[in-house]
Amino acid sequence: MALELNEVGRFIKAQAPFNDLDSSATEYFIKSLEAVYLTPENQNQWLNSSAPCLFLIRSGLYDILDSSGEVVARLSEGDYFGYPSLLTGEPISNRLEVQNEGIVYLLSQMHWDYLREHYKAFAQYFVRAHANRLLSVNYKKRSDDWSSKRICEIMKQGAVTADPDTKICDAAKTMSQFGVSSLMITENSKLVGVITDRDLRNRVLAEGRSPNDIVATIMTTSPKHVFEHNRVFSAFHLMLKQNIHHLPVLDEQHHPIGMITATDLLRQQKSDPVQLIGRIYKAESVADIKRYALEVPELLRGFSDRVEDTSLIGKLLSGITDAMTTRLIQLFQEQNGKAPTPFSWICFGSQAREEQTLHSDQDNGLLMPDNLTQSQLEYFKALGEFVCDNLIACGIKECPGGIMASRDSCRMGLSGWLNQFSSWIKSPSPQAILNCKIFFDIRFVEGSESLFDSFSKGILTTTKNQIFFASMATDINANSVPIGLFNQFKLEKNQQKHTYLDLKKRGVAIINDIVRLYALHHNINAANTLERLSALAKKQDVNKSDIYDLKDCWRYLTQLRLNVQLQQKGLPANCIDPEDLTSLERHQLKEAFYLIKQAQQAAAFKFARGSL
Amino acid sequence: MGLFESLKRFFVLPDRDADVLKANCFKTDYLVIDLELTGLNAKQDEIVSIAWVPISHQRIQIGNCQHFINNQVSNLNQSPVFHGIDSDSLAQGVPLNEALKALNELLDDKILIFHNQELDWSFLRLAFNKAGLLHKPLAILDTMQIEHKRLARQGQVIAQDSLTLNNCRERYRLPEYSCHNALTDAMATAELFLAQANQISRGKPLLVKHLM
Repeated sequence: MALELNEVGRFIKAQAPFNDLDSSATEYFIKSLEAVYLTPENQNQWLNSSAPCLFLIRSGLYDILDSSGEVVARLSEGDYFGYPSLLTGEPISNRLEVQNEGIVYLLSQMHWDYLREHYKAFAQYFVRAHANRLLSVNYKKRSDDWSSKRICEIMKQGAVTADPDTKICDAAKTMSQFGVSSLMITENSKLVGVITDRDLRNRVLAEGRSPNDIVATIMTTSPKHVFEHNRVFSAFHLMLKQNIHHLPVLDEQHHPIGMITATDLLRQQKSDPVQLIGRIYKAESVADIKRYALEVPELLRGFSDRVEDTSLIGKLLSGITDAMTTRLIQLFQEQNGKAPTPFSWICFGSQAREEQTLHSDQDNGLLMPDNLTQSQLEYFKALGEFVCDNLIACGIKECPGGIMASRDSCRMGLSGWLNQFSSWIKSPSPQAILNCKIFFDIRFVEGSESLFDSFSKGILTTTKNQIFFASMATDINANSVPIGLFNQFKLEKNQQKHTYLDLKKRGVAIINDIVRLYALHHNINAANTLERLSALAKKQDVNKSDIYDLKDCWRYLTQLRLNVQLQQKGLPANCIDPEDLTSLERHQLKEAFYLIKQAQQAAAFKFARGSL
Repeated sequence: MGLFESLKRFFVLPDRDADVLKANCFKTDYLVIDLELTGLNAKQDEIVSIAWVPISHQRIQIGNCQHFINNQVSNLNQSPVFHGIDSDSLAQGVPLNEALKALNELLDDKILIFHNQELDWSFLRLAFNKAGLLHKPLAILDTMQIEHKRLARQGQVIAQDSLTLNNCRERYRLPEYSCHNALTDAMATAELFLAQANQISRGKPLLVKHLM
């Protein structure tokens, strides 16, 4: 028999673990195989506990479902299944769901036992595969998507409040009467401060202050707060970052409606993404941060299956980058002394928009006061280099355009930055427009907030320039959506002759550009595209349905892009082959591109008067 | 097999034929056969190689596949272009009779399957006759005819090349096989047959005669 010439042999030899196993083992395996055509109707014939087998998929697509009906894994060519019950001797607990039927190779228990006994590498391979499968299943069981819930879903309703001129002793009585550990201080039903158990201890008893003083003397003024529709995740992040345990929750009119505490959050099941951020904020050393960074891709994989709102993934990754940045800045100051002046660490681009992906690179900068001395400049140079270099080590790639606080061009005083922005706006060359796209998505990360505020106010006054808006609108229209005549996708090609669609460049980025343009025009401070769209929806002269359409498009493309990133198969980042989509998905994708095209044209009409 | 056995089988056949046709096609044993030839005329062209793949209860028995090259081919002509077997490979083969004897041992309770039986079976029948191996198989199925019938029933226009082995397999999304020899093609035909039978039956009982 000439198995070498056979397609079966060729396939098996390229397959782990046989690619580095004795050829005698491979030959034994091939000779012992049987091939079947697996369909929904006949699957029970092959998968039964009385005659367990190892299965190796040659073609087709199959989902493995656990006893609760949840998809544990999607299997295709080259994947094995059935080994858990061969290894443990336990009955098969998972179910198979055939998506596309195809050819599957079977190895019976007898032959499995022989190979396992005689070839250690064979046994090891499946033991390891089994362990990995268990880990991933347990991971899913352990966490649910509580952190993507809204705060109003998990908080206790009812705000316990007091006036600022309430006596401390009366406030304490109110707290014990309602059984709460904190009190919101309001004036005209607006939140002005917070007192907690700890304040009563540290600021009253320990200091010997009179209980007849008014609470205004001991309260924390302008406290951090969240809104009822924020994500639980945001609340947790804020608590971890600020090291506080109580967060007032406000409604849209800024009226306090309740308090959310660290205990409320702990009562929810612990979630790894949030725990990771917590660990980063507490990291003892740069080495710790780097180690935690290694967990991010796997974490994201587990997390992304479960969240419905994909914008949360971008937020999560940006949150992790924020946490690493903040902790690195703190570690630097521990080693080199406190910063000589106030400064603001700012981020741009995708981190600012909270749309980071696994492929996003660094875009950050340092904002400092004007007129620093040489030694102060040296300090911030070292800070920028320390943080950026370590972020690279944590897997957040170097910015190819050099937009990093480690470069002199991104470490400037307030007036330096503002001059930079106004020069781009006044002479909108192609390079300037490109810079604007990145630099106009700005977010504060760490340092002095007031310094950052004066910076963002300065920017808004410089943008009021019609020529600038017209050039931005013209630039947006220079980038076309990939739909050609007759409703066909226009595909791109790379050197390997793959044809593909670039979802980022031809979709998400165009939406971001359009939304940024409107946001700047309407003085909206947010950097996140969805937040900008929400803010725009409240403006008088903006077409609401256009906004909703763009939101849906953005969500759809982001989800698709994320799925692609997690199942890369040789295409450039952010790219998909439309052949891999279902016909429904293809239809939706075309629809999304059409809506983007309409929005492009509307922007051109509004800002460039159609003068393209 | 002795002459008596062969004769017995020859005369007893009608009964067994009826049995076999009423059998559940998923519980029957098959032998899927493919030949490489020097040409298309059974009277003057020769068998270059022969391979078979057994199927038992829907399982393709990979370990029991056989592949023989005939070292007695007198004239390859231009045929190596198609099957890639040149005179060097021929030399490593065995006399055709050995292959036929081995095959003959297996034919007893099995239905034969070809892709385009008209061509392959005419060569094989002649070869069996020449070798003095009297043989009439239990039944013969043809994946090409099964496919033709299926497409016709669906009201599809059947283009000239739509019934080649590769094009049939493509319709069932079976993997693409790059190398072509008798063994690979026999394996490819076996997989095609399982796909066809399963898709025609869709869980309902299917008799052998429904595939004729």
